[in-house]
Amino acid sequence: MQHDAEKPLFVGEKPMPKYIRRSVLALSIDDAQLGEKAYASWADAIILDCPKQAGRDWQADLKARMPAAIHAAAKGGAEVFVRIHRDCAAAELDATVFAGIVGVVLTGVTAADDISAVAKGLDALEISRGIASGALEIDVEVDTAGAVWHALAIARASERFGAFYVNEAALCRNLGMQSAPRLAFDPLEYIKSQLITVATAVGGQAMGMSYPLGLTQGNADEANVKKAVRLARDTGFKGAMCPHAAWINICNEGFRPTAEEAAYYVKVIEVFAEGIKRGMASVPIDGKMIDVPVDLRAKLYLKWANRAQARDDAKARAHERQGN
Amino acid sequence: MNNRVARVSMFVTPTNPRFIDKAWTRGGDVYILDIEDSIAPAEKERCRTLIRESIQKANKGGASIYVRINKPFVDADLPYAVWPGVDRIMLPKTESADDLRHAHDIISRLEKERGIPVGSIELYPMIESTLGAVNIHDLLTAVPRKLSSMGGAGGYDMAMNLGIEMFASFDQYAWPVAYVALAAMALDIEATGGVFVPNTSGRVDQGDQAATQAAALHAAGVHHSGALHPNFIQPLVQGLSATTDEISWANKVIAEFDRLTDAGESIGMLDGKVVDKYEYDRALRTLEWAAACAAKDAYKARAMHRAKQEQPA
Repeated sequence: MQHDAEKPLFVGEKPMPKYIRRSVLALSIDDAQLGEKAYASWADAIILDCPKQAGRDWQADLKARMPAAIHAAAKGGAEVFVRIHRDCAAAELDATVFAGIVGVVLTGVTAADDISAVAKGLDALEISRGIASGALEIDVEVDTAGAVWHALAIARASERFGAFYVNEAALCRNLGMQSAPRLAFDPLEYIKSQLITVATAVGGQAMGMSYPLGLTQGNADEANVKKAVRLARDTGFKGAMCPHAAWINICNEGFRPTAEEAAYYVKVIEVFAEGIKRGMASVPIDGKMIDVPVDLRAKLYLKWANRAQARDDAKARAHERQGN
Repeated sequence: MNNRVARVSMFVTPTNPRFIDKAWTRGGDVYILDIEDSIAPAEKERCRTLIRESIQKANKGGASIYVRINKPFVDADLPYAVWPGVDRIMLPKTESADDLRHAHDIISRLEKERGIPVGSIELYPMIESTLGAVNIHDLLTAVPRKLSSMGGAGGYDMAMNLGIEMFASFDQYAWPVAYVALAAMALDIEATGGVFVPNTSGRVDQGDQAATQAAALHAAGVHHSGALHPNFIQPLVQGLSATTDEISWANKVIAEFDRLTDAGESIGMLDGKVVDKYEYDRALRTLEWAAACAAKDAYKARAMHRAKQEQPA
């Protein structure tokens, strides 16, 4: 049981967050401007919604259109997902899973078996469609009481699990709660904290927004969205669905350490290293205690800031390529 | 109810004579001899060798002694941490039942070898990650040894795991704190802390912050708290003890409920408040806690007096 220096001491020392996925935009594949909107958005991820055309063979229809839609959605360097529902997951997977997507976002989940079934479907599709085995991720849009109650079993149901998305409006409807933001407190605070904790515990992450914007999805002014994003980040969310294009840049800037924070982490690391040289394990900065976990946190957060910057650089390169 | 009095548990570094030699004069209920995060890596080996003598130094004023070891160095730390006079071993960053079983096995062997009643030293799994939080029930049922539990999972390591900045003005650990505390309560295991008190400055040395923290814990019926600075000791000792008003009210409630019982009734009113079996039991618990605190304070006073007399002139 002696510590292997190559392994993290505990889950808290793994790279964090798992994904740099700060802003997520949902677009319909029926949108004639899908490619333009995806390209112009600068979103870290695009979720494709695939409406079923009435009176047609919707599976054949989607199969024919998906590869081009995925290509269009990825134009600006975003990761591309497809959103499917538990009730017809097998058929939707068959119609929408093609090379180029990063994973699926599953809605209507009520139990761990829902994830296992989708994972099994992806196992087969990866083989038949030339996608690396185990590559596709399963994210869960939490919109039922069952998904909350079974959150840990759901997150542990497959190695493919990547993230919880909190769909506050749908969850309120499912719970029989009013969805008008009339309360002075966040009625879903405990649930959000649970989903963040559980997702993190299995090495994933949770995506969501703070109250009340997470519930209303309203088009607030920039200052209020910034404030809401900061609150969401301080709660533990690592990104959010953006119902308005104006949210995207704010999320990209807000769901990462700020420049001021990064500068503070550098100071923490330097001061602590000096303390260690003097044989001290705890040194103060402005009355705050700096010790091993604080130093470790500073190093992790600096890596996070650098990864976020690298993600922005990658998107910029994708835009340059498209521009050329 | 557990009436062990540990209103404030103060971390002390055995390697720093300025801290360890004076600890007993501070009036803490518990001193935690730390081999973990307050000890520099290069100092850990020396720190281990100082634990045994530090027990005698820190408990001179009547305090109980805990030792916090390192998760990566359980095997190396425990032989230096398990001694007569140690009440509890604190196991940081506990995440699995295996973590606890491993520590339990080593402690049991050392207790036997060193003439300590086997199983008498408590284990305290520190829940400092989300994985530890979601596994809490497994952890608290893992070993046949008395356990204490954190009343909630939070702190520096949990913040790092969650990727959040600390010292926000709201409770950032709503679920892990409640879940861990609830598991302890469901298993009838004593738990420490667990009530959110804003500390947006992040400072750990301000007595008024300690008083605010004590008031919040007291209101929630929590009797224990930790401290990183001596300025926290007295506010926590005072703030987590039963007040004279509470003792007086408890006596009145007990007298009124006894009168009701004699009259064949079960519910009455006192100064506009309901008196029933629930309030009666609560009043009894208040008096038990007050008596335990008084006994601990008297014990500490006697020990302190002895220690001062033994001080070289």
